[in-house]
Amino acid sequence: MTEVQINIEDVQNTAGKTIKLIHVVGQLDETNVDEKAKQVYTLIDSVPQGLNLIFDFTGLEYMNSKSIGYLTDWYSKTSAQGGKTVIAGARENILDILQVVGLTQLINAYPTIEEAKLAVSQ
Amino acid sequence: MDNPVTPNPIGQLEQTVEEAQKAPTPVPTSDQLLERPLEISMTLPTQAYFLSGIRDFTLSLTQNLTGFSEHWAFRFQAVVDELCNNAIEHGSAAGHTIEIKFISIRGKSLEVHVQDSGTAKEKMTARQLTELYQERKQLMTKQYLGFRGRGLPKIVGEWTDEVSFEDAPQGGIIVKVKKYLRKEEDKLSSTQQNDPTHLVLK
Repeated sequence: MTEVQINIEDVQNTAGKTIKLIHVVGQLDETNVDEKAKQVYTLIDSVPQGLNLIFDFTGLEYMNSKSIGYLTDWYSKTSAQGGKTVIAGARENILDILQVVGLTQLINAYPTIEEAKLAVSQ
Repeated sequence: MDNPVTPNPIGQLEQTVEEAQKAPTPVPTSDQLLERPLEISMTLPTQAYFLSGIRDFTLSLTQNLTGFSEHWAFRFQAVVDELCNNAIEHGSAAGHTIEIKFISIRGKSLEVHVQDSGTAKEKMTARQLTELYQERKQLMTKQYLGFRGRGLPKIVGEWTDEVSFEDAPQGGIIVKVKKYLRKEEDKLSSTQQNDPTHLVLK
């Protein structure tokens, strides 16, 4: 199985509201994405309304089309519950693949976590 | 005189015809070698476990031997990964193999062929897959929120110039993709020009 780690951290925005910061480090591919996605679904299910998610992709080296499918689904679920989903710190190759499938039209990407925090707070 | 060897103007000995015929063929230089089409084939078990190695190989090959930039190397990494995943998931049963072939003409084009074993439960012909590909491409022209189906029409389709599907004589489908190197899209990097033979496998 390809190495990937997903860690979820609570951070506060300037208004004191909790944002879930999801750090993804390694490569998301066919061998690990189904298993790792469960962590994110558990989180989404635990907050029924207004969940704000920041995906910290600073350490993400690769993602395949299936992991993009999961990301789209997480975006759809949080949006339907009145929450926001954004991406922070993605490398050029990750932004490139998100762009070619059209996902950057749905999910905003920011260079830093701080900028992403500001965006979900608005 | 019965002496076939005469000194040449710079003092070296000229070869006779017989000696020239016996002489070894000149070894091509690395530049000459890289001008020729480079073809690499490999066979993989139908396990996604091996695909991270194929991604690393694709990245190194594209960066070091094809003339495409790092930017395109990452794109090809994704293209090959998607093609192999499809061949394993949709075209082959467990315990079989898939075939991958890279054909590079340095500075001109990179071609990748991926062949499944045709042993999957739901078999498709090349014609059916071509139709499915066209349908998916049409679907993706609008905003798409579906879970699957982006790999072939978007990642493979958008990042290559030619995509074709062929029925393999021994069963299965061969997906062939080709990308031409264009100056406006890419350029040879200085490191590749300085050391064209150095292939780094990470």
